[in-house]
Amino acid sequence: MSEKIEKMIRSTRDLPSTHLLGTGTPMCAGCGGLEALNGIYDILGEKTVFVNAAGCMTLLSVYPFTPFRGSWLYTAMASAPAGAQGIRDALDILLEQKRITTDDDLEVVVLTGDGAAYGMGLSATSGAMERNLDFIYVCYDNEGYGNTGQQYSGATPHAAKTATSRGFAGFRGYKKDLFSIWAAHNPAYVATVIGAEPLDLAKKIEKLRGMKGPRMIIALSPCPTGWDFDPRETVHIGQLALKSGIWPLKEYIDGKVTHTKVPRKRVPVEDYLSLQGRFRHLFEPTRNEKLLDEIQARVDSYWEKIEQDEAEK
Amino acid sequence: MYRIRFHGRGGQGMKTASRILGTAFFLEGYEVQDAPRYGAERRGAPIFAYVRADSKPINERGIILNPDLVIVADDSLVPVPAAGVMAGITAHTLLLINSNEEESEWRHRLNLECPVLILSLKEEVSERAELPYIGATCTGASARLTGVISNRALEQAIREELSELGTTVIEKNLENALAAYESMADNEGAITEGGLASADSYALPGWIDLPFEDARTSAPAIYAPATSVEVKTGLWRTQRPIIDYDLCKKCWWICGSYCPDGAIEVEESLPIIDYDHCKGCLVCVAQCPSHAIEAIPEAQAQALEAETQEGEQK
Ligand SMILES: Cc1ncc(C[n+]2csc(CCOP(=O)(O)OP(=O)(O)O)c2C)c(N)n1
Ligand code: SF4
Ligand code: SF4
Ligand code: SF4
Repeated sequence: MSEKIEKMIRSTRDLPSTHLLGTGTPMCAGCGGLEALNGIYDILGEKTVFVNAAGCMTLLSVYPFTPFRGSWLYTAMASAPAGAQGIRDALDILLEQKRITTDDDLEVVVLTGDGAAYGMGLSATSGAMERNLDFIYVCYDNEGYGNTGQQYSGATPHAAKTATSRGFAGFRGYKKDLFSIWAAHNPAYVATVIGAEPLDLAKKIEKLRGMKGPRMIIALSPCPTGWDFDPRETVHIGQLALKSGIWPLKEYIDGKVTHTKVPRKRVPVEDYLSLQGRFRHLFEPTRNEKLLDEIQARVDSYWEKIEQDEAEK
Repeated sequence: MYRIRFHGRGGQGMKTASRILGTAFFLEGYEVQDAPRYGAERRGAPIFAYVRADSKPINERGIILNPDLVIVADDSLVPVPAAGVMAGITAHTLLLINSNEEESEWRHRLNLECPVLILSLKEEVSERAELPYIGATCTGASARLTGVISNRALEQAIREELSELGTTVIEKNLENALAAYESMADNEGAITEGGLASADSYALPGWIDLPFEDARTSAPAIYAPATSVEVKTGLWRTQRPIIDYDLCKKCWWICGSYCPDGAIEVEESLPIIDYDHCKGCLVCVAQCPSHAIEAIPEAQAQALEAETQEGEQK
């Protein structure tokens, strides 16, 4: 695999044609999080150790089965970055004592859902970034506590129906801006990705492989089960998240945020919303114009600001 | 006591079906237990749900091992060992199965002594995993088979259990459930209550004694990479994607990257679907720009395969 990775990924044809992650996992058919993880793992490679906070993806490794080619540690929801610190320290000690060679060294990768990343585990993550821990954090963001039946989390978008926001207007809160919260810690790298854009995803993972320090990834993960849509729509919905501008693809390096794909002609955000059962109440039995306008206005104002900033440059 | 077991796939509404039936029993004055059971697997994977109903308090707990009625919402589950459809079926059990095959075919195939009833759906539904109203249909039919649930109780139970889903969904479920209730008129009361289980006659499971091992030996460590390939998630599939290589433009990075399960391999620029693991999400069908991938019902694909194999043998 490694020779393949040495080659820079410039076009879709450079994407790996064989996959490293084992098939046969218990994720739902059409899981957008698994799709992103496949793309990420292909580039990170097998010299990795995964630290997994409780969530859907903890089920990836259920003894005696694992899709990974290296080790895996299961932690409580709030403490995956602390687990990563322990593993990094252990590896560093082994290296220092020459009990392993640099060739045997592993990249420590935290893998959690948004419930852990945006909420329960945020304090441990903040601490890890503060200590400049050399690790990678992958948050697959299915915008709710998926494994326990899609209760709302700090990542749930405004108006979405979840198991704990069932009223006529759905979730009253707003999706936290975790990208900015993480970036405010000034880590080595922060990026948003999505499985529906495999080239952008691969380039970003390739870039962070060459870095040290905290490298943070948020992958929007269309979730047929929690968002209530036909599994075949996973990629289509991901593409609409980009085209509508509701999920901006961007990265943060050295204090600067760059958008890696700017949707020049944005499609109405309702094209994205209307395919998902969790937003059905915005369209049936009558259209909730006020809420739809509000959601569209928030997306518009985000991009207006980006375009303004760009023009000023 | 009535002991009823539902078998379906995640997403087919078996949990709701068991709740509706439980509530209907309750409305008729019964003591009721209803509970779904599922493991780590998800949508498409085998799901069980259980209903117990009795005129006296129910002390029995846990999974139902000796069912009076077994309902199979998806006949493709019968040969799947993990689905355990046949577990504990005796001559006393009634097997209600949603299938396009005849009753005699199932009796022959499974070598059954018990009565079998076929639940045929009104309309031909192509997407079996998504059969949206199969749960209600199963409940309607089984309610009639008990002989003690009126259509009024059935209707009220559906309205109560589905109240959050809005009138359109409720009405459609009602229509299907009541049609299934009517379709079973000739078999009203066909199931009989099984006797009480007694601790004395309880057959112990075949325990295997494991010797106590030192933690260094017994701790769960996996020494091989990617062992998950041993799990054949292809069994979850209800629709099979098939690539028409005459139409395929060899743009493997499209279907190959989008497949959430990594179940598309590439050989000499041609995509090959790994049917042992493809879960049938149909993302590849939706994304292939050349429309070179078609989805056909898994049962049909298997029948075609069997025919070809037979042809080859001849
Ligand atoms: C401290 C703690 N609280 C609750 C749980 C139960 N729990 C297990 S998985 C899960 C949901 C996790 O949600 P998220 O991080 O978004 O991941 P997802 O399930 O969506 O993959 C919860 C609440 C737990 N394991 N630990
Ligand atoms: S619930 Fe959603 S995130 Fe979890 S495995 Fe299923 S599709 Fe993936
Ligand atoms: S996307 Fe379609 S045309 Fe392209 S390789 Fe896959 S099957 Fe062939
Ligand atoms: S249906 Fe297609 S995309 Fe889905 S698991 Fe099978 S091969 Fe992969």
